[in-house]
Amino acid sequence: MMYRVRHSTVYSYDETVPVCQNEAHLKPRNAAAQKCLSNNLMIAPPPATLVERHDYFGNHVTFFTIQEGHRRLAITAESVVTVLETAPPALEESGAWEHTARLLHSYSDGAHLEAKHFTFESPFVPLLDQLAEYAAPSFTPGRRHLEATLDLTRRIFTEFKFDPTATCVNTPPLEVLQKKRGVCQDFAHLMIGCLRALGLSARYVSGYLLTLPPPGKPRLAGADVSHAWVSVYFPEFGWLDFDPTNNCIPSGHHITLGWGRDYGDICPIKGVFIGGGQHAMQVTVDVEPV
Amino acid sequence: MSVTTEAATTRPPEDLLAGYKPPPGIFDEMVDGAGQVRPAWQKLVGSLEQTGAEGIARQSEQARRLLRDNGVTYNVYGEVSGEERPWELDCVPMLISSREWNGIAEGLTQRAALLNLLLVDLYGRQDLLRQGVLPAELVLGNPEYLLPCRDVRVPNDCYLHLYAAHLGRGTDGNWTVLADRTQGPSGAGYALENRLVVSRVLAEEFHDARVRRHATFFKSLRDSLFSSATRHRENPRVVLLTPGPSSSAYFEDVYLARYLGYTLVEGGDLTVRDNAVYLKTLGGLLPVDVILRRLQDTDCDPLELRTESMLGVAGLLQAARSGNVVIANALGSGILEAPALAAFLPDLCRRMLGEELKLPSVQTWWCGRDDDRRYVLDHLHELVIKPAMLHRTRQPVYGGALSQTDRERLAAAITRHPNNFAAQALVERSSTPVWSKGSLQPRHVALRTFVAADGEKYDVMPGGLIRVTTDPCLPAVSMSSGQGSKDLWVLSDGPVSPMSLLRPYGAPIELRRSGNDLPSRVADNMFWLGRQFERAEGIVRQWRAVIMRWMSESEPGGLVELPILFDALLQDWKEERPEAVVAGDPYRARFRQLLRLCYDERRPDSLRSTIYSAHHLASIMRDRLSLDSYRIINRLRTEIGPGMSQAQSLDDILLQLNQIIVLLSAFAGMGMESMTRGPSWRFLDMGRRIERAQHTVHILQSVLVRPLAEPAPVIEALLEIADSSMTYRSRYLTSIQLAPALDLILTDETNPRSAAFQLAALAEHVRGLPHDEGKPQSTPEQRVMLAAQTELRLTDVEALCQSSETDGEHRQLGELLARLERHLIALAEAIGHTYLVHAGPSRHLGRISPSPQP
Repeated sequence: MMYRVRHSTVYSYDETVPVCQNEAHLKPRNAAAQKCLSNNLMIAPPPATLVERHDYFGNHVTFFTIQEGHRRLAITAESVVTVLETAPPALEESGAWEHTARLLHSYSDGAHLEAKHFTFESPFVPLLDQLAEYAAPSFTPGRRHLEATLDLTRRIFTEFKFDPTATCVNTPPLEVLQKKRGVCQDFAHLMIGCLRALGLSARYVSGYLLTLPPPGKPRLAGADVSHAWVSVYFPEFGWLDFDPTNNCIPSGHHITLGWGRDYGDICPIKGVFIGGGQHAMQVTVDVEPV
Repeated sequence: MSVTTEAATTRPPEDLLAGYKPPPGIFDEMVDGAGQVRPAWQKLVGSLEQTGAEGIARQSEQARRLLRDNGVTYNVYGEVSGEERPWELDCVPMLISSREWNGIAEGLTQRAALLNLLLVDLYGRQDLLRQGVLPAELVLGNPEYLLPCRDVRVPNDCYLHLYAAHLGRGTDGNWTVLADRTQGPSGAGYALENRLVVSRVLAEEFHDARVRRHATFFKSLRDSLFSSATRHRENPRVVLLTPGPSSSAYFEDVYLARYLGYTLVEGGDLTVRDNAVYLKTLGGLLPVDVILRRLQDTDCDPLELRTESMLGVAGLLQAARSGNVVIANALGSGILEAPALAAFLPDLCRRMLGEELKLPSVQTWWCGRDDDRRYVLDHLHELVIKPAMLHRTRQPVYGGALSQTDRERLAAAITRHPNNFAAQALVERSSTPVWSKGSLQPRHVALRTFVAADGEKYDVMPGGLIRVTTDPCLPAVSMSSGQGSKDLWVLSDGPVSPMSLLRPYGAPIELRRSGNDLPSRVADNMFWLGRQFERAEGIVRQWRAVIMRWMSESEPGGLVELPILFDALLQDWKEERPEAVVAGDPYRARFRQLLRLCYDERRPDSLRSTIYSAHHLASIMRDRLSLDSYRIINRLRTEIGPGMSQAQSLDDILLQLNQIIVLLSAFAGMGMESMTRGPSWRFLDMGRRIERAQHTVHILQSVLVRPLAEPAPVIEALLEIADSSMTYRSRYLTSIQLAPALDLILTDETNPRSAAFQLAALAEHVRGLPHDEGKPQSTPEQRVMLAAQTELRLTDVEALCQSSETDGEHRQLGELLARLERHLIALAEAIGHTYLVHAGPSRHLGRISPSPQP
């Protein structure tokens, strides 16, 4: 599948902002089943400086500064990405989850350093006994790691209600667990927390998802959204994605921007500015099959 | 030290060691197991015994006075900002022989080099992780390992420019390292101050002992920072970045900045443009090349590090990444403070340096290793348990001091999260004498040592900061725990050469006059300092005039000016006259109210509060004021401080007011005579001039505009308050009239107390402020200035003195004063707007929260 993704963010301020420093994760990275064919970042007013680099996890980062007074900042990224459909591995290929946990624990050399990195606590995902307890019914003794993970995905999908008003960017996983409500980011953090609390390795994936219009309705431009899901490490076949918000293993429809330990590592735009008074933000995402 | 010498010749030495009993089993620094004084100490002990108890008490008092005069304080964590404690220093130094010290120093330089290599690897190739030498748990799982700092190229691979190690000497007499501090470690400045004080109080002993000096160490640090600059290599700008006045070691930040000759800045003073760091000053943005930071790693950049912190500079990390600024120590160094790392250092040292660790760490276990955990769980009662990482998050726990249940709870916590715990062997620290309650008493020693990068190698401060404690097992005595400190003397074998941090003669130096490189924040503070001082003086002079009159007259009702003066002063505080009349004295109630207004700390505009806030401003600008000025301000604070109650006699109050006026004049004199006429002085003086002009206008409004039945005594009082009586008398002898008095107080530009003089001075300042030369039209402050000055210069004083036929008011005068008042307010606003307004705190863009498809 090939997609054109247009991700546009507009900030408007009551008062002039003289200077701002920003960091954007807006260029989709290449991955096993994904290739970014083109990426175009448009920023108005034009940035005084712009530096591109790769972050710790290999994601594309753009650092830019606006140094002229402005009351509106518009950032638009346009990318063309191909995503392959992949067949999930067979359940039998996966060993017991405890086996994975033991392996991760005992790794002391470089080979599995990357996987090990995602077993630790991170700023948005604390390691909590309550999360391990929540995961326990899925992770029964000896159960296959893949099977247990699919079950956890399904349980989060069925037991939690999607509710954009229930949480905000900083809502901790424990609160999400108690409220049983949240958005994709909350479900991803929750699931990552559950897995890490069991000694397993899981990372946060930021990206987009093609939305299909209701039958008979035209596709509306800008109606799509940013999305987030989870990637889990299996010693047998490497990293495999799970989407607890939609109860699926992503294949062909999820476009990956990048990944990190949690949202904080890969949020699309971060910025610090001075002045500005009241400010407002508008985001539109448009995913179009081409 | 002539007192000491005299005493020595007239008195036999006292036996100061008779009562000195170090705790059994503990290594004592001064005496050996047999009670014999160690060789290094013999000279000092002899000298102290000559001095005698009385002499030492006197020296201690002298030390206390020096510290107080120099304003040496530290802030205590958790207390209200501004709460400062005096620094406590025991004037008996601790001594160590050069031979012993050289061993320690060698160990410290090796350790600094090793730790630096560790950072090079962890933030670069990560071989140590890949080869499994260091566990990922302690690096990737350590929140102080900062991912954005990976692959930031650090010039010359020098991560650590200033490093501190906490040492303790155990019962076996060996020194061990108990903790490493790598993020802007504090204490070096206090060590320097301690040295300064003790070397003065014990000048002779200091000289005789041939103590090694600290200056070379600071020179290494300064040279190293200077030469580390990647830009402007001829004359780089180095700044010291402080968390601000509320941080515990603010005194030291100020002290070090002044000593090293760096501009002291807070995060808000810096900005990043074009991926380089600039200092915001009155004259515009000036490039910054090197930052000696006293902030924690994560506080340094709200964009890439801890977003909640507003102490740092957004974009700082990118500036470092772009190679445009050197940060000392490099961001990310904090990971070395993890207590668990000590368990790996011996192995790392062999592997990376091919040597044994010369100065061992205290024996350390990391519970993430199975063998270590088993040992720790079996020996909890004899170990100190610390967090493996993030040592600031939890106090160390002494297993031996725990109850059975608490120990079991701790064991369970360790079993559940073994990675998070480290354990250290208990070090029973050595003891050293301190002077306490008239005798030498043993106290336990915590030594903080400092190491500075010096080109390719490291240089150790000969000496360090000693903290003393009554508990031998405290693992680290922190600044905030409020215990004493001492100087450490490293005795040199040969002669010591005194050296200074000033540039060697002949070294090329760029000539500079005061530029406009004053941070706007400092200009703002200076402006307010000037205003507060002048306000205090205005109140005091008025208050004194009232009290003198009230005292002098047995029957106060006989003075026509007294009620007017009382009311004018009350009006100054916008207070109504109290209705109550006490015991037939019409002024008693007003007097009590004024006492309250002067001394009530809860009122921000009381005299006491005004002086307190001037003191506070001065204390956060210690790097900008001379030591003498600061001493005067300290004296002022003491003078007005608690102790003055309402019960005191009028005489006492008068005495105090006279003293305050002398001190205020002394400060003003220091400003006139000792401050270079740079922007710092300009803003201080502008604040003062604006306040004085306003005060003059106010008092004229409240005293002279009203109808005056008997003007002479009122005018006389006014002249006295305006400190212009002498001039008046010399000009007009005893004939007291309104017109010449008004001329003197209002329009005479030659009288430094007149409103016209203040305006002329202000006009001069406004001309001297940095302007945009390209703009042809005058600035708002220039326009206001012109209007105000013209107003006064065109004034016909005779006409002002005419009173209204109907109600006797001096209406023209009232109108003029009202216009002047408006001009002065407009002027203060214009200056504030152009030069002093803070752009406000940094804020974050609302982060985008992804939401899933419907």
